[in-house]
Amino acid sequence: MASPGGQGSGALSTRGGVARRMKWALELSLGNTRGRGDRQSNQGDVMYPIGYSDKPVPDTSIQETDKNLVEKRCWDVALGPLKQIPMNLFIMYMSGNTISIFPIMMVCMMAWRPIQALMSMSATFKLLENSNQQWLQGLVYSVGNLLGSALAIYKCQSMGLLPTHSSDWLAFIEPPQRVEIMGGGMVL
Amino acid sequence: MAKLVPLLAVFFYLVCVSEAVFEDQVGKFDWRRQYVGKVLFASFDSPSQSSKKLFVATDKNIFASLNSRTGDLFWRHVDKMGPEGAVDTLLVNAQDALMVIGDGRLLRSWDTNVGGLNWEVVLDTGSFQAACFVGIQDTVKHVAVLKKTAISLHYLSNGHQKWVENLPDSDTVKYQAVYSGGGEEVFVLGMVPHSHLTITVYSLEDGEIIRQRSVEAPWLSSVESSCVVVGRGVLMCVDNYTQALYTLAIQAEDSPQFRQVLLQVNGSRYLRNLVSPLYVHAFLKKDDSVGYRVLVQTEDHALTFIQQPGRVVWTREEALADVVTMEMVDLPLTGTQAELEGEFGKKADGLLPMVMKRLSSQVILLQAWMAHLWKLFYEARKPRSQIKNEVTIETLSRDEFNLQKMMVMVTASGKLFGIDSKSGTILWKHYLENVQPNAAFKLIVQRTTAHFPHPPQCTLLIKDKDTGLATLHVFNPIFGRKSQISLPALPRPILQSLLLPVIDQDYAKCLLLVDDQYKVTAFPSTKNVMQQLQEMASSIFFYLVDSEQGTLSGFRLRKDLSSELIWEVVLPTEVQKIVAVKGKRPSEHVHSQGRVMGDRSVLYKYLNPNLLAVVTESTDTHPERAFVGMFLVDGVTGRIIHEAVQRKARGPIHFVHSENWVVYEYWNTKSRRNEFSVLELFEGTELYNSTVFSSLDRPHLPQVLQQSYIFPSPITTMEATLTEKGITSRHLLVGLPSGAILSLPKMFLDPRRPEVVNEHSREENLIPYAPEMPIRTEWFINYNQTISRLKGIYTAPSGLESTCLVVAYGLDIYQTRVYPSKQFDVLKDDYDYVLISSVLFALFFATMISKRLAEVKLLNRAWR
Repeated sequence: MASPGGQGSGALSTRGGVARRMKWALELSLGNTRGRGDRQSNQGDVMYPIGYSDKPVPDTSIQETDKNLVEKRCWDVALGPLKQIPMNLFIMYMSGNTISIFPIMMVCMMAWRPIQALMSMSATFKLLENSNQQWLQGLVYSVGNLLGSALAIYKCQSMGLLPTHSSDWLAFIEPPQRVEIMGGGMVL
Repeated sequence: MAKLVPLLAVFFYLVCVSEAVFEDQVGKFDWRRQYVGKVLFASFDSPSQSSKKLFVATDKNIFASLNSRTGDLFWRHVDKMGPEGAVDTLLVNAQDALMVIGDGRLLRSWDTNVGGLNWEVVLDTGSFQAACFVGIQDTVKHVAVLKKTAISLHYLSNGHQKWVENLPDSDTVKYQAVYSGGGEEVFVLGMVPHSHLTITVYSLEDGEIIRQRSVEAPWLSSVESSCVVVGRGVLMCVDNYTQALYTLAIQAEDSPQFRQVLLQVNGSRYLRNLVSPLYVHAFLKKDDSVGYRVLVQTEDHALTFIQQPGRVVWTREEALADVVTMEMVDLPLTGTQAELEGEFGKKADGLLPMVMKRLSSQVILLQAWMAHLWKLFYEARKPRSQIKNEVTIETLSRDEFNLQKMMVMVTASGKLFGIDSKSGTILWKHYLENVQPNAAFKLIVQRTTAHFPHPPQCTLLIKDKDTGLATLHVFNPIFGRKSQISLPALPRPILQSLLLPVIDQDYAKCLLLVDDQYKVTAFPSTKNVMQQLQEMASSIFFYLVDSEQGTLSGFRLRKDLSSELIWEVVLPTEVQKIVAVKGKRPSEHVHSQGRVMGDRSVLYKYLNPNLLAVVTESTDTHPERAFVGMFLVDGVTGRIIHEAVQRKARGPIHFVHSENWVVYEYWNTKSRRNEFSVLELFEGTELYNSTVFSSLDRPHLPQVLQQSYIFPSPITTMEATLTEKGITSRHLLVGLPSGAILSLPKMFLDPRRPEVVNEHSREENLIPYAPEMPIRTEWFINYNQTISRLKGIYTAPSGLESTCLVVAYGLDIYQTRVYPSKQFDVLKDDYDYVLISSVLFALFFATMISKRLAEVKLLNRAWR
């Protein structure tokens, strides 16, 4: 299978050379069909040896060791969010508490990723379908994500982005109604 | 979230530092009108018609030159206020204008061409009587100044004294006039009232008395008021009792006698008119006929210039040199705007009628828009010079952001003016006759323009100082017309007035007038109002401050419109005197009810709408013992909330009371400097009652913070900016004696400014405390348009939250806009629309073209 770079250079060479003068040309040599191949790679398949397939052929034979592998893989998926937490902690520490564009972006990412993961729980459950401990893994996965979002909330709190203080509601306090009417002044 | 607020504050701070006017913005939003005051002396430049100059000296101690064609000022010299700078006389001769100032204290000579000072000499003491030029033939070289006991002769070129002589018998003879006939002699006229007139002749060379004459004149009481020299040495005198006219040849060698001239019966009226301020300039025209021009000073302080066929060339409204009080009133809506407003104002009466109403108003709007477009198209074809943007009362209407308002000005002479705030054009004027010169005025807006179709209504309370009786003048502030409303009878002297938020069925606010028996008269006094008053009577309070007695007293209204005294505070007049009292402006809005601390808690403001700031000054003026007092008193309960006494300080005190703070300025007698002090009141971190404020239910006293600063200049007046919602940060507008107005951010006057900076104060964006207050020239809102004798500053909110309208008045009137937090809600006037739109269009076309090119390229590649 030709590398895209090689195909590109092939195309370049034809463009500079023969093809410019003719409206169309049919070439039977291998080099030039590769040149076409960059656009329509399916056509290139014709030239491969018989029995060659581009796609890997799935191994359909199920073995006993694979069960363990699936289990391991599922645990990897379930523990993924928990593993990210130390990393997030480090990022949090590094970004500091000042409000500027990069810390804000990071906080948004940190908050958004667990929420996104929690919203696509069904897809994850489908992944974990084959496992025996599907429910435990699901629980671990959601706990990890919840921890992640809690961490994001904590970060928001420490950055002062959460309306938890009375000062955050100051703008909504209405001026008090006055009961007495008063006026007067110096004697004219 | 809480951090955003300080961030915004920093942003505002940074932008307000760069607040100044650019060169191309000069005169765009601001205007200044200069005045001179009531004319005492006037003089025409030369005997020909061609001269354009007029010289006037006024009661405001001003010497100015006017353009006789347009009435504009060429130049103006403003002297000291009061008798020290009073102009005694003005003499003009060709290039020199001579003035005697301050009751014979100074003699000044001015160059009439450029208005420069030639020289100034200090005269000997003695009260001034008269002065005249002394010339031999027609060349004037000397000036004679007559005092009560002496006469002196000065050179015109440098002011040096040639000679000074004592007048003979000056204790019995009143010398009142001096005259030079063009010879070597100076004639001094003196008289003994109801006895005789004396003529003393001095030699021009050495001041020796050449001869003395005495003329019998038992009917004469004053030379100054009833005699005038006409022609070559002929004195004309009027006998006021018999209404006879006498003439006397002053220069006669032998003993002169008065000759009586017989007058017709109606002559007396003519004679009286002579004394009125009328300056006639007669000249010979080219065809040798006599022409004249007249400068008339009328009772309402208007200065009118009239040319021969009775044509008024120009009029100057000099009453505006002495504005007493003013208000700004919104302009009325146009017909279409009013239609829309009316639609929303009325109550819903079914779905279909509402839809129909909406559609009809939309049609009207469309019509108006089409008419506007047509007008634009029509005017675009005309050359630009022909389009006149003249403002008349008929074309007045509110603009989009309510930036144009009507300024209603009340002047000391009793003349009212309506001035367009955008251009400074006088739209209407109304002269109130029989107003005493020392009358007190109070201008009240009873109904604004918001209640269409009811016209707006202003009421002017005029109180005669002598009798104490008050009269009301009710008028429409947009057109200046007097309203045909029955006025209440006010038989007793009026002490004060208060405007209630009680509205009658015609949407006019109720005005209460308190008389000397503490009874109240309501205006308007319809049944509706009376009913409301009786319901509310127990919650209506008023206070009166008598600075002569040193009392502050509070009253509560009874149902029968009498009142009961509920509290009284006495400040003994032997120790201190109440100088001024200020409450808060009722139109003021406070957006934020507290301040955010560094730890994100809230310090709530003590916003007592009934709080009064009372300023006292000690009667003892000794620098060591003088003091200034600031009392914060609740106007309902009489409770003294706070008391601050500044020792070793004296007035004059200028102060501003707003929101939860009071800023005042005084003279520190110990350190000999001007100081600012700021008081701020806070309720603490908890609100006592956040929904209702009642002075009667406030058990806790507020926390009071105070800080003082050194200010490098004395000030003449002070006011705070005001915006519609109170979101914009506040600035103090400080009028300086130089005529500049300084816009000082309130941020600098904050008693929470820390001496040691810590994290919390940094978080709050507090500026570290520095005793000196800076004056930065870029903070002057009136750049080089100085306002002479600044007396007051008036601020009014506009429809834009960022913008505050400012009018400064004194001798001049200056109007401008200020943006304390810069223009955050509107694009700047110099916003480059052309550039931005051309860039947008260019980008759009570039995208289109490149898209097309890309398509072509793809196609070509596909064909390869």
